[in-house]
Amino acid sequence: MGNQTRVPLALGFAVEERFRVLETRASMKAMSKKRMADAASRHRNGDGNPLGANSEIARKLKQYYDELVSDRVPDRFAQLLSQLEQTEPAQKKD
Amino acid sequence: MAAVSQSFKTELLGAIPSLRAFAVSLTQNADRADDLVQETLVKAWDKHESFQPGTNLKAWLFTILRNEFYSQMRKRGREVQDSDGIMTARLAVHPAQHGQLDLKDFRGALEQLPEDQREAIILIGASGFSYEEAAEICGCAVGTIKSRVSRARTRLQEILKISGEDEFGPDAISAQVTGSNAA
Repeated sequence: MGNQTRVPLALGFAVEERFRVLETRASMKAMSKKRMADAASRHRNGDGNPLGANSEIARKLKQYYDELVSDRVPDRFAQLLSQLEQTEPAQKKD
Repeated sequence: MAAVSQSFKTELLGAIPSLRAFAVSLTQNADRADDLVQETLVKAWDKHESFQPGTNLKAWLFTILRNEFYSQMRKRGREVQDSDGIMTARLAVHPAQHGQLDLKDFRGALEQLPEDQREAIILIGASGFSYEEAAEICGCAVGTIKSRVSRARTRLQEILKISGEDEFGPDAISAQVTGSNAA
């Protein structure tokens, strides 16, 4: 990993902001899909959400996970994708 | 091999925060989690042609990450935990004061869950997947996911000594304190 291209810091932050926006949009989409699937599932099986929408466990789980999701993404991932892109679409070197 | 599209790359970038969160939940270790995410991105890039555009990219990526996690565990010679036969040690958690369950305690309790239960409750309760999607990610039946989530919830309640939701309302003592201290 010594010879990877450096992403300028400012660009890194801009990319990171972009991640957040995309992430929020994606999770909103996923959420509405989940709600529909859950509703369908309840209808079929006659059971509710096993977590209980407002239970302490459900809230803590969300809090735990959201904290992880909002953690700053290290630059290495954007650099990795740029590296992968640079070796594309040339033939794979094995 | 077709070139990887720009939108695929953008979507990969956008999925990284949730991939990292899921990876930490599985590995309970930040460094291992990031290695796992890196491995997942490389695999996803190589296999991009097998992804069906218009289907759920996040679920596809989670599947790759999960497979990679279990394959690494097998390589390390560690048995994949079977939640049916496991007796997890109890963590001593002091009853929460005034209904505030500490996030640190919760994390500790989550760590005690067998992997299959932990991943199920994370996928359903935190990552926003439906039972059907979670079943696909884990390669098992929808009913299996439901029972893992339910066992995980029961187990967490036991470890954290939560018996009912009413415990977290204002209790008699705090109500009294609030009342008597009103100036």
